[in-house]
Amino acid sequence: MKKHLVILLAIVCAMAYIPSVQAADVIKVGVPLAMTGPYTDTGDNYWKGIKMAIDEINAAGGLLGKSLEPIRFDTQEFSPERVMQGADYLCGKEKVHSVHAGWAGWGQDVRAYGKYDVPFFCDDGSQAAVDVFKTDPEMYSNIFQLTDTGINQAESMFRVLMALPYEYPNKKAVIITADDAWGTEVGDTLARNFKEKGWEVAMHEIVPYGTREWGPILTKIRKAAPAIIHVEIVSAQEVITFFRQFMKAPSKSILSYGYSIVPREVVETMGKEADGIIGEVQTAMPTPEAPTPEAQAWVDRFVSLYNHPPQAGSWAAYSGVKAWATAVAAVGDETQHDAVIQYIKKNGYKGETGWWKWDDDNVMRAGGDVPIGHYQVQNGELVTIFTDPPTKPYKDFQFITPRWIK
Amino acid sequence: MLIELIDVFISGLTNGSVYALMAVGLTLVYGVSKAFNFAYGSFFSMGGYLAWLLLVGLGLMGGYVIIFIIAIPVLLAVGYGVERAIVAPLRKRSDWEVKVMMITLGLALLLDNAYQVGFGARMKSLPTMVEGAMIMGDVVLSYQDMVIFVLSIGGIVCFRWILNNTRIGMAVRAVAQNPAGAQIVGIPKDVIFGATFAISTVMVGVGGILLSQKYFVSPTGGWDILVKSWVITAFGGMGSIRGSLYAAFILGMLEAFVGWIFGMTWVLFAMFGVLLIILAVRPQGLLGKWG
Amino acid sequence: MAVIMAVIYGIVGVMPIFVGDVRFIMHILIMCLIWAVVAACWDLIMGFAGIFSFGQVAFFVMGAYGSAILASRLHITPILAMVLSGGITAAIGVLVGLPCLRLKGAYIALVTFAVHMILEPFLKGDMGRFLGTGGSRGILTIPPIELFEVTFSSAAPVPFFYLTLLLSILCTVIILIVIKSYWGTAFLALKDSEDFAMSLGVSAFKYKLMVFALTSFLTGMIGGFYGHYVGMLSTRMLGIDLFVTLMIMLVIGGIGQYPGAILGAFITVSLNEMLAPLGTYRPLTLGALVVVLVLLLPDGVIGLIRKVSGDEAEGAGVSRY
Repeated sequence: MKKHLVILLAIVCAMAYIPSVQAADVIKVGVPLAMTGPYTDTGDNYWKGIKMAIDEINAAGGLLGKSLEPIRFDTQEFSPERVMQGADYLCGKEKVHSVHAGWAGWGQDVRAYGKYDVPFFCDDGSQAAVDVFKTDPEMYSNIFQLTDTGINQAESMFRVLMALPYEYPNKKAVIITADDAWGTEVGDTLARNFKEKGWEVAMHEIVPYGTREWGPILTKIRKAAPAIIHVEIVSAQEVITFFRQFMKAPSKSILSYGYSIVPREVVETMGKEADGIIGEVQTAMPTPEAPTPEAQAWVDRFVSLYNHPPQAGSWAAYSGVKAWATAVAAVGDETQHDAVIQYIKKNGYKGETGWWKWDDDNVMRAGGDVPIGHYQVQNGELVTIFTDPPTKPYKDFQFITPRWIK
Repeated sequence: MLIELIDVFISGLTNGSVYALMAVGLTLVYGVSKAFNFAYGSFFSMGGYLAWLLLVGLGLMGGYVIIFIIAIPVLLAVGYGVERAIVAPLRKRSDWEVKVMMITLGLALLLDNAYQVGFGARMKSLPTMVEGAMIMGDVVLSYQDMVIFVLSIGGIVCFRWILNNTRIGMAVRAVAQNPAGAQIVGIPKDVIFGATFAISTVMVGVGGILLSQKYFVSPTGGWDILVKSWVITAFGGMGSIRGSLYAAFILGMLEAFVGWIFGMTWVLFAMFGVLLIILAVRPQGLLGKWG
Repeated sequence: MAVIMAVIYGIVGVMPIFVGDVRFIMHILIMCLIWAVVAACWDLIMGFAGIFSFGQVAFFVMGAYGSAILASRLHITPILAMVLSGGITAAIGVLVGLPCLRLKGAYIALVTFAVHMILEPFLKGDMGRFLGTGGSRGILTIPPIELFEVTFSSAAPVPFFYLTLLLSILCTVIILIVIKSYWGTAFLALKDSEDFAMSLGVSAFKYKLMVFALTSFLTGMIGGFYGHYVGMLSTRMLGIDLFVTLMIMLVIGGIGQYPGAILGAFITVSLNEMLAPLGTYRPLTLGALVVVLVLLLPDGVIGLIRKVSGDEAEGAGVSRY
């Protein structure tokens, strides 16, 4: 009896592992994103872009006459074996012909998906991922980064901070970053730049996620009275609580949020309260006015679908799908992964704002037709004031000196 | 220098007052029923979401007074119901302590993800109770912190009064001291267990409302609260309410000063370091008693 | 107990015949075998020794990092690095255990959980970077295991699977022997009545410290194995997800119902994959399941099997009345 039960149980479990049957007239596309856990919200941003691209392609008759079918995988908290499991599930079991991710594991993903030859698009934005790529560019040739690294983005932030039409009262800066790879990468680069330009970094503090009581840090900030405070924590709760506590007795400092400006809650929960904060988004569609009519049309489509302006990552992920689809259409066969990869490497992709080109490390470096957008919150919405590189003001949008400095 | 010291001291004091409110609830349940509640943090978020639902979701008028009037009975009922439904049935088992930990961990997972499904993964922000700050020279004292301080301390005083002066409070203390004896004199032990669980749920839930209006409420925001309350109760001695009070303020100050002098990353190290030292010297915590 | 274990491992052992060419499933099976060891260790320390250790995930991660650093920095062969790392983890386990054994229930849980909480900032911080943890980037290139000139890596899942199976059986059999031995009996006696057992000359301190050392050694070693398998490490394993999943394995299998934990590992991982289509509702369902299972099946699946087969005496968590 005992044995029978165990066997029965084992069979039930084993059922879960029987591979599924493949359909012939669809092209499977893998989408590993965080669907549960702390990264759910970011995962959702990427999914919106990816879904929009897939739906558009299918509505237009599909790719090579076949329709695209997204296969989703929940990457949860990006633990190593989960990232690997995603690669084995999508590329190994489901046999997808491309993989479109967002944040995907900051280097772990390169290792996991590099084992396969399927084109892989992600938005790691981290030097760690590029370093893994460089260890074996041949093997990792299928890995495409949709954004530039944290180091280059931080360089861009610094250039724009220096280019602001604003006279800094002193040369003191405070840098606060999260204790993750992204935060430290940006923090170190900024600190180096400040020092090279003769600025004093009065405080360079690394804080853990979950920090919400900023009293001790604000005490130090008020004493230092820096001209610039840079906060780089890509999580709304930290940056919002920081801002609100800062505003109780603000120092006369430019508040630069870098990439932490992107969580939608920052502008959604604070609205006009957030006016004056500056930040940047890489591979992002400049708003409120897009640079080209095609881009404006894209923004309008996005808004009509989801009822809010596109968030960081949505457009990048969308473009990843389109870049791959364009290459497949040109090659004429989605199963020729190498040919598709070579096509993308050689030709790039012409998107809504112009050309996307990947460099030798398969990184979409910022600049040209897809620069980094630098924003300021004005009237409760993100307004592009600069694009970089090269550093230039965006259209007629002006930097406004924050109310707490006036 | 002095001004900064005052600033940091105030920060520690506000931390401490809220921690006290949280920890007292946790220590109460442990002291009375020896049950460790892993879903404690989720009840914290429940308070926050309840307030959000009433204030923002339903757009209820009347401000926080009405919120408390509605939320406290709801939290009482939830706490009592949870205890009767899932904790009480385990009590007759010899390994019930670990079973209670596990079932409450499961409940925490269930609740946190229910919040995420129901309210979304994003944080929610509540309207503040009061605006503005008192600025005396360089010292900043926000009215919000003052309100939190006063209400937390008021809550604890009120709780002490209930414990010392009401029949149910005395019954709770009797069960904590000697469950068998309490039952012999006719105190319904099971009801008391339920009641303490309910009271602790109210305390942490109210704490959730107080803190959420200062910070935010998010599906997983309760974990931090659970860990901190846990450290404080162990530090002060599980089951000792006075111990928890001292511990809350000691650790609140520790957090503020370590954060100020060494940086925020050291706060966790310092907290656990101090906890280890106290437990090495006094395994039962500051004012705790074994048994 | 041995019969159930043999049946579980027997069934798992023949799985590659059916699914050996599907790397994804092989990966899940390998992870099942690894989690089975971690869960079994946890069961030994919590279910049998009655110590509420919440630091098992931390020991696992320590072992993984230790072995990865030894292998990639000092170029020690991975197998040896795993064992060394297990030894280091055991030493840390004893260090954690020493203060813990003076404490009671929830206090021990807290101190061991503190180790878990502190590990992440430690690995990310300056001290960790000095040791070679790579800070918040993690370690992204860990050499695979080599044995007799053969490289075992995730690229060839079937040989690796059998290596894992072997190691998993080895570890769980050690645990089984411990439970069946004088130790196991001593633990049961200590759990039933610590005072009485001690009056009979059973030294709680000695046995509990030994169980700390043994479980952290095995957990650390299998952690090192995991690191060499996936070839990369990050602190993201220390999130609440893995901790809860392991806890669910124990709940489903049955605490103190060895080899329930092993069975629990297989069921939980399978269940997690089957629930994947539920998306956001997956963790919600898991939570609800835990609540329901603790209430309805307090001794887990093994308890149910025992009840059905009318052999209840073996359980450690039988009803008081």
